Amino acid sequence: MQTKIYADNAATTKPDIEAIKAMLPYLEYEYGNASSLYALARKPKKILKDIRKKIASAINAKPEEIYFTSGGTESDNWAIKGTAFALRNQGNHIITSSVEHHAVLHSCSFLEKLGFDITYLPVDSRCEVSCKDLRAALRSDTILVSLILANNEVGTIQNIKDLAFVSRENGITFHTDAVQAVGHIPVDIGALGVDMLSASAHKFYGIKGVGFLYISSKRNDIIPYMSGGAQENGYRAGTENIAGIVSMGVALENNVQLIEEQKRKLTELEWIIISKLTYSKIDFIRNGSENRLPGSMSLSFAGIEGERLLHRLDLMGIAVSTGSACNSKSTEVSHVIKAMSVDSKYAYGTIRISFGKHNTIKDAEEIASAIVSICAKNKDIY
Amino acid sequence: MPKCSSCGKDDLDKDIIGINKKLISKDITNFYCMNCLADYCGATVNDLYEKIEEFKEQGCTLFK
Repeated sequence: MQTKIYADNAATTKPDIEAIKAMLPYLEYEYGNASSLYALARKPKKILKDIRKKIASAINAKPEEIYFTSGGTESDNWAIKGTAFALRNQGNHIITSSVEHHAVLHSCSFLEKLGFDITYLPVDSRCEVSCKDLRAALRSDTILVSLILANNEVGTIQNIKDLAFVSRENGITFHTDAVQAVGHIPVDIGALGVDMLSASAHKFYGIKGVGFLYISSKRNDIIPYMSGGAQENGYRAGTENIAGIVSMGVALENNVQLIEEQKRKLTELEWIIISKLTYSKIDFIRNGSENRLPGSMSLSFAGIEGERLLHRLDLMGIAVSTGSACNSKSTEVSHVIKAMSVDSKYAYGTIRISFGKHNTIKDAEEIASAIVSICAKNKDIY
Repeated sequence: MPKCSSCGKDDLDKDIIGINKKLISKDITNFYCMNCLADYCGATVNDLYEKIEEFKEQGCTLFK
């Protein structure tokens, strides 16, 4: 069984060849520890500085505000737990939403067990959090708001600028999980007005195991996530993953330049899928708001379960993801689909197609044809 | 033992019943043999056996 069409780019992306090539010297020859004081450490130290600058520039931040981590999960954990522990004497209330990634949700439930009080904001049918709900949830003991920038399941782009403003005008630290957004849509720290932002390299054509957390220099209310050496200005101990960081810098620089071009292309691929399914009279809905990540499609079908559709597509060489998982007794709808109150006629039949820069028009046509054929055969069963 | 609803092959074992339910619907009462199911899904019989192993590793109770 071989995957011929990869359409699960929200899960991970194929690393850019330039990003792989750029990292190889740091595995083969320039293996020095950037913290050391001899010649072999000079190049790793310099490249670390250069990449920090490159990444900062891609999101309009300052280099000293970029902290390298092992990826989005660590960045989210650090932002949430680090802030909670640092500000515990000021309050124990944290606000997030019901549609966050599990790295955020599970960090919050961990804190709940330690006595923190968490408010999970609802979303509307487009997966959007409202400023009104955020304002109503704020309390005198609120210390942190964490809301996702672009949802990983349905692609909805939150109005982070306004939500962060509400938080800021109340003096509350604001974190955004931008793992799906960075490298895919313009992300400008100045315009967003957030205090912390998480990103992960493998979501924008870098390699796995590396990411970063932006922490505004105006904020110093976070405790270090790892204890040990003085790396990352004493905030994140551990010898730096130089090779991974180099690959991340190159990948981000490459892909930030392609954002507009990719948006046009990916929108065309989305249109091919939607028009073919509509033309074939397939009973489906598209989830999420109009303002969504390019190439991200959460589709819910009537009469077929998402996981069944995923496996059938897999047998046809097509890799997508699902918004529901079944066992022999029941089918569980994802927390995001549930929070959006998607009609149960469709909710169980949810899949996520996430196109990336390597996908072609032919891929979109083949995926649409495969779905049409599976749905048609499925109808015949009953 | 159920028979294949397409070619009539009999002795469809629990794994074959399980993969039919997993790929078509858990509510079906008519099943395909491996060859007919592979045809139906546009796959090979080997692909289906690979899937069965994956489902078993995941602990899917349809194969127990």
